[in-house]
Amino acid sequence: MDTTTQIIISGLTLGAMYAISTVSLSLIWGALNVLNMAQGALLTLGGYAAYTASAALGLNAPLAILATVVAGGLFGIAMYALVVRHMLDREGFEVNVIIATIGIGMVLEAGLQKLYGAYPIRQPLTVEGGFFIGNVYVPFNSVIIVLTSAALMLALAAVLARTRMGRAIRAISQNRDAARLMGVPVELVYAQVFALAGGLSAASGIMLSTITTLAPTMGYDPMLKAFIICVVAGLGNVMGALYAAFLLGLFESTVQFALGVRFAFISMLLLVIIVLIWRPHGLFGRTRVTKL
Amino acid sequence: MSAAQRNVVAGLVLLAIAIALPFVLPGRYVIGQLTLFFIWATVVTQWNLVFGVAGIFSLAQMAIFAFGGYATAMVGLYGGWNLWLALPVGALAAVVFSLVVGLACLRLKGPYVALLTLAIAQGMYLLIITDTACFTMEGVTCRNFTGGTRGLAKYGDFGFREWLGYSYMAFGDYYLALGVLVLATAFSMFLMFGPIGAAFQALRDSPEYAMARGVSRFKFQMLVFASSAFFTGLAGGVFAGYYKVMGANTLYLSPLLFLLAMMVVGGLGRTWGPLVGAAALMLADEALKDFPEYRFMGVGAALVLFVMLWPRGIVGAVEAIGQRLQKRRSEPGGTSIRQH
Repeated sequence: MDTTTQIIISGLTLGAMYAISTVSLSLIWGALNVLNMAQGALLTLGGYAAYTASAALGLNAPLAILATVVAGGLFGIAMYALVVRHMLDREGFEVNVIIATIGIGMVLEAGLQKLYGAYPIRQPLTVEGGFFIGNVYVPFNSVIIVLTSAALMLALAAVLARTRMGRAIRAISQNRDAARLMGVPVELVYAQVFALAGGLSAASGIMLSTITTLAPTMGYDPMLKAFIICVVAGLGNVMGALYAAFLLGLFESTVQFALGVRFAFISMLLLVIIVLIWRPHGLFGRTRVTKL
Repeated sequence: MSAAQRNVVAGLVLLAIAIALPFVLPGRYVIGQLTLFFIWATVVTQWNLVFGVAGIFSLAQMAIFAFGGYATAMVGLYGGWNLWLALPVGALAAVVFSLVVGLACLRLKGPYVALLTLAIAQGMYLLIITDTACFTMEGVTCRNFTGGTRGLAKYGDFGFREWLGYSYMAFGDYYLALGVLVLATAFSMFLMFGPIGAAFQALRDSPEYAMARGVSRFKFQMLVFASSAFFTGLAGGVFAGYYKVMGANTLYLSPLLFLLAMMVVGGLGRTWGPLVGAAALMLADEALKDFPEYRFMGVGAALVLFVMLWPRGIVGAVEAIGQRLQKRRSEPGGTSIRQH
């Protein structure tokens, strides 16, 4: 009983953290059909921005988080306006954007390392303490992560479903040319998507850094896991990404318990390969008829 | 002269220069850096076949390289084989590994392949550095099968020290790495200008017609993916014998991205792109030697700049200038047909 509780709690915490990253990757893929490989560096940026806002500038926690989300959003917009915008619709842009965002991630990561040093720093926003369910210790930090993540996902779902911007994003994901002909300002919506994804990733980065520590390379491993989850869900499917994130979070914590931490990543990898052999477009992906 | 003949002549001139260089150059450091350049250039020529020619966006190239290196080291260490015999075994092991990766990934489309291959490389890295189980005992200390975080060592070398003496042993590694690069380049040219290059050109120019004529993309992609792994694994084995330590640092992200930048800066899919790119990046890295914190940043900036401004790389940019000059010289309206 205690073991099951433990697995569920750590699985939910992992899932909540992955969910935000995965959803931001999916948003960008859904709207622009490109993959953002700078995601890991964006997570790192979020962690360090929150550290600066709360430790150096002395802001209180809500303001520090707000400032971090804004910083992530601005970085997302800058990425779109300075780099990605100029590559869309050119020959081979799918691959070129992947390479360019790898480059952006490298520059950002190296810049953060130059600013903050390579040594791990503790995230000051980490919440101490916890309570017991039976014999299982539940840190408040985990509870806050799950609740924040759920709130952010609900807010995002509301934005996508109800607002003008959300409708435009969904329209572009379904059919870009039709959306453009109906008068949707595609360029502006792309910038909004990058802002949303950047802000969400920064928030995810704060959560991540409260569990591990701040380090320049902290975003890489979670980014790969977010990729795996996206692939399992089917690229571009936002709701599917959400389910898959929690599913794989629970899977990871089960494997960690049953086989040891060592095999967590490799088991997730095997799982995704099996899923892809069975359903090449992911669990929730639509099978599309592709023209040659 | 045809394009293929021109390339062969250019290659022979470069080879003659490379053979003469160690006798002209001062110092062991330069020879060592050139040896490393040959090893990286070998890997990039093969990656260029996979990525630039066959159009597979694989990020598993360094994993294949490391697999070859580890296999060579393990055959030397646990099998007690001479490293010269272990080399081809390591290369074949890399081919088998690449076949497995290919079967898992190659039915998928572009970005999925990139994500999965990157994840496979990371999975391999994690399995190695978390390896703590004892495989053999070395006196009282226990040694892991993969060497864990310390890496594998004491698996022998190519014996250049005994053959050539202390002052010339660096020449041995130099010529071995050069030899592998020559073979790899010849192999990649054979593929690019032979039937396989033609098949991919057909698949690019008119996929419907090519497929209707029975050109299977999957079959040819598998073929290129597996065969390019041979030289990549061979380069890994040479690397292991040259450094005498094989560690998981070959699976870090930075060498992978360094090689990716070589390919992009040189020119994706171009015959001489890998060599030009490898030379450019090694020189730039050498120039930034005193500013180590900017090395990684510089590679990232190079990736962004080239993909945005010169997506065909240095070779593509030079070709474009050449074409413009040729057009100006020839009559107006006359077109020149060129193969790349």
